Amino acid sequence: MTHPHDIPNQPRRLLGKRIPLVDAKRKATGQAVYTDDIRLPGTLVGKILRSPHPHAKILSIDTGKAEALPGVHAVLTGREAPARFGVLPVSQDETALAVDKVRFIGDNVAAVAAEDEATALEALGLIEVEYEPLRAFLDMEQSLEPVPEELRLHTKTVGGTNIHKEVSQEFGEVDRAFEEAAWKKTRDFRFIGVTHAFTEPMCTLAWFDADDRLTIWSATQVPHYLHRALSKVLEMPMHRIRVVRPCVGGGFGGKSDPFPHEMVAALLSRKCRRPVKILFDREEVFYSNHGRHPSKIRFGLAVGKDGTIRALDIDALIDGGAWGSFGVVTTYYNGVLANGPYRVDNFRYHGRRVYTNKPPCGAMRGHGAVNTRFAYEVLLDEAAHDLGLDPAEFRLRNALPPNTKTVNEFRITTSGIRECIERAVEASEWKRKKGNLPFGEGIGIAGGFYISGSALPIHWDDIPQSTVHLKVDLDGGVTIHSMAAEIGQGSDTMLAQIVAEVLGLDIGFCRVRTHDTDTAPIDLGSYSSRVTFMAGNAARQAAENLRARLLRAAADLTGYPVEVFVLREGEAVNVTRPEIRVPYLEAVRRAMKECGALQATGSYRSPPMGGKFKGAAAGLSPTYSFQAFVAQLKVDLETGKPRVLDVWAAHDCGRALNPLAVEGQIEGSVHMGLGQVLSEAFLYNGGNVLNPNLCDYRTLSPTETPRIHPILVETNDPEGPFGAKECGEGPLLPVLPAVANALYDAIGVRFYELPITADRVFRALERQRKRRAVKDLAAR
Amino acid sequence: MILPAFELHHPTRLPELLELCRTLRAEGRDFDFVAGGTDVLPNYKNRLNPKGDLISLARLEGFDEIETNRIGARARIADLATSSVLGEHWPGLVEAARSIASPTLRNLGTVGGNLCLDTRCHYFNQSEFWRRSKGYCLKADGEDCLVVPQKKICYATYSGDLAPVFLVLDAVLDLAGPQGERSMPLREFYAFDGIRRFRKEPDEICLRIRIPKESEGLRTGYRKLRARDVLEYPVMGVAMGLRVAEGAVRDLRVAVTGSEAIPLHYGDLDLGNGIPPGEEGAEAVKRALLEWVKTYRNVPFPPGYRRAMAGEFGRELFMTLVSA
Repeated sequence: MTHPHDIPNQPRRLLGKRIPLVDAKRKATGQAVYTDDIRLPGTLVGKILRSPHPHAKILSIDTGKAEALPGVHAVLTGREAPARFGVLPVSQDETALAVDKVRFIGDNVAAVAAEDEATALEALGLIEVEYEPLRAFLDMEQSLEPVPEELRLHTKTVGGTNIHKEVSQEFGEVDRAFEEAAWKKTRDFRFIGVTHAFTEPMCTLAWFDADDRLTIWSATQVPHYLHRALSKVLEMPMHRIRVVRPCVGGGFGGKSDPFPHEMVAALLSRKCRRPVKILFDREEVFYSNHGRHPSKIRFGLAVGKDGTIRALDIDALIDGGAWGSFGVVTTYYNGVLANGPYRVDNFRYHGRRVYTNKPPCGAMRGHGAVNTRFAYEVLLDEAAHDLGLDPAEFRLRNALPPNTKTVNEFRITTSGIRECIERAVEASEWKRKKGNLPFGEGIGIAGGFYISGSALPIHWDDIPQSTVHLKVDLDGGVTIHSMAAEIGQGSDTMLAQIVAEVLGLDIGFCRVRTHDTDTAPIDLGSYSSRVTFMAGNAARQAAENLRARLLRAAADLTGYPVEVFVLREGEAVNVTRPEIRVPYLEAVRRAMKECGALQATGSYRSPPMGGKFKGAAAGLSPTYSFQAFVAQLKVDLETGKPRVLDVWAAHDCGRALNPLAVEGQIEGSVHMGLGQVLSEAFLYNGGNVLNPNLCDYRTLSPTETPRIHPILVETNDPEGPFGAKECGEGPLLPVLPAVANALYDAIGVRFYELPITADRVFRALERQRKRRAVKDLAAR
Repeated sequence: MILPAFELHHPTRLPELLELCRTLRAEGRDFDFVAGGTDVLPNYKNRLNPKGDLISLARLEGFDEIETNRIGARARIADLATSSVLGEHWPGLVEAARSIASPTLRNLGTVGGNLCLDTRCHYFNQSEFWRRSKGYCLKADGEDCLVVPQKKICYATYSGDLAPVFLVLDAVLDLAGPQGERSMPLREFYAFDGIRRFRKEPDEICLRIRIPKESEGLRTGYRKLRARDVLEYPVMGVAMGLRVAEGAVRDLRVAVTGSEAIPLHYGDLDLGNGIPPGEEGAEAVKRALLEWVKTYRNVPFPPGYRRAMAGEFGRELFMTLVSA
């Protein structure tokens, strides 16, 4: 979309430029204020008593001794706030604290607010809880059995089992396509859970003040959903609650639910009328989890003689842990997001998400799509190998063209998959290297596909998904109000860039206020890769509305028609007579004459789209991102340790509003994806998380980070703000299978289970050596 | 997670420190020593056998020298890792020092602290809450070992990187305690199980470690198994020392860390007339290590893989050192 007042034939001043994030200096110098940095007089320390049992009935809780301890101001139990909440309206299965049963080791049982941490911890030790242990469901398969009601984790399950959600979809004629296929294989893949490992642990400060109003400062990606959940659990109208999001030290999906500890802090503060802060230690962050679901995926792929994909047949069993969270969406995403970036005419998916007695799983970067993507791309590689096709060429042959509809009625507008493959192949010198590297070295390719914001909001309201307000006063500074949550990904910078671009101003004129529900209009939050697309469009519209008033003012001041003016470099300029100019501040003053400070609004809501069948809304997005990555690695043949050397990461981001920020997102995604494929594992010992700390939960260190070569593919999405689409999640998807495919190229072994650690590679090499030795012996 | 309450003492001179030990003992107060704190303090946070008193060695004068044959217990690991004089004489020692934790932790950690590093185990290095929910183990607050079910021996894994190299160098440890000073070969120092760990009295501190003249001329090396290149304890580490003379390998010494509850020196390999300095010798070393090394399922990586890596490292070190 171009606007008549966009400057014609002139390069954009800000958009497309490499601009450091607007909060970078504050963060680098330690001036940025995170929740734990906020010190209110009289703040108490809140601590949560956690369950030592994976599954047990709570028979009684005696808080008497804890309440009597000097320095303790409030003790809270689940019965005091039994209202259920959850991020999705369909899975309201959480409570602030456990009410009649605990569901995992680490579950929230009771809470205290005390003068200091030592007193709070002592008080927790004085709370007496009587449990009656129940059979624990620790393996996904156990949760498929029908069980008596008391053994079900929640009241709402499928057919008397512990299945949370079951999904079945079929399009086309899958069985026939498999019968007629020239190549078909079905394989079982296993994925262990991984977690976000963000830097800042959960932290919440709640203050129920003298005016009976609750203010809550919290490290959250979703202030609006927190606002709603607090209202429900505290039984208070939303207008009496103010949610503030200070700087957030990373989220990656791990802060995209409303959380029990947020409810607890608020309830404790209401009880003792003092500010209460809850700061998690790292072990508690692991119990909060909401990381990527462990899953077992059976993936069937059918390919025709001509090298076209004929059918997919996917069955996913997904371990949800103790709560619902985003799980209904996860269950769909594990299947439906396999409908790109390749054309598929016959598609079947069966997905089940089960409750287990483990910390809850939820959304994590690449939500729902990552494990299935791994299975899909590894099988594609296998098919290409068996059919004698080049894996890159094979993918090109199947690339989803732009302006099409997938078999499940996703509306594809722009698609950069072809260009992604071609550019990654070229940059990596794929053709020279593929199949020609020495034993132990290899190169692999994989594609990716992700939503750029969920088209249908979680709550079926008729309001926009994002609204932006602008305010300009005499000083000329433009205040941007939005609840789009800056969590380190750069959304504040994106908003400032767009507004400054439209108004022809230096970015320093923009002040971004995206942290306070009292002043900023609703944005649904930072999840599903929606913010650049949705808040960006809202910001653009708001800025254009403001621009119209400034241009009107320039016309009024000069007597020329409004149509001839544009805003550029701090002036309104008459393009037909460039010597006629009105300085920006004069235009502002003139425009303020009638009403004082200027205000403008913009908003965004996805257009209607999608099919009419059950589950049609899942995976719908106003546009999709596409990726193709090539990874090159070398295996230490002595220890089996794979070392990824290079990743060429081609990503279709629509238009890079800020290439520096896009590259940062790609690099972060690559690093995070490598963690899941090579190293990270959320391990259990019975019902205990075995490694609930960052020493034993192994995110990769900088020394394992390969050379990352971001390749920005720009398809200029007609509905995106200035052509942009997402870049925060899609770039994680192809890393994992690209590495596995490179490993096959290196040593001739396929891996169907993650993570691919050195010991697994070593074992595979040993087996291979033995097989060779036997073969050699037979040959003799 | 906050530390438990304790009283921190800062003696500056050795006699003062020893007097403090005597006084605390006389008052029936139990204590630990702390130097860099990178091992003791995380364990204290996890409530792993914390004492009411901590004697800091941070302000103690001396005992931080780094010389070819003599290294103070208070020498920082970072200084060991960057010492050119040690690098010339004992490259294996410097390799081991460089492989410890991360640059920031090496700036804090000391040689004595690394030698006396507490043993590690999945069931031990956990918070109080975790251990309570799982059931306490023999090494802290419980009666049963959760690795090898029984009540007598702790199987936690020794995880220091420096000890195997010092073992190969046949180093001697100087200790001081209220009963006076004494010396002990490092090969005798480590003993017992994952709880008792060494023949040091609780009141004794390490002063320095000395490398005998007889070890001059040894070629040394160290290899370490770890999931990442930094921030990892060894889950298998092999140190080797050898000489090459008259076309044969002589005086071959091997020690291993990250396997059992103490670092083990496997004695000088039976040489006869020396080991041939090629693949044949390397394979013999590998076979010997595979036979000797024991591993348990209580730290990262499967035990079988860790054992296999001991063999691989032995073979590879042998080949590297003979051709050095």
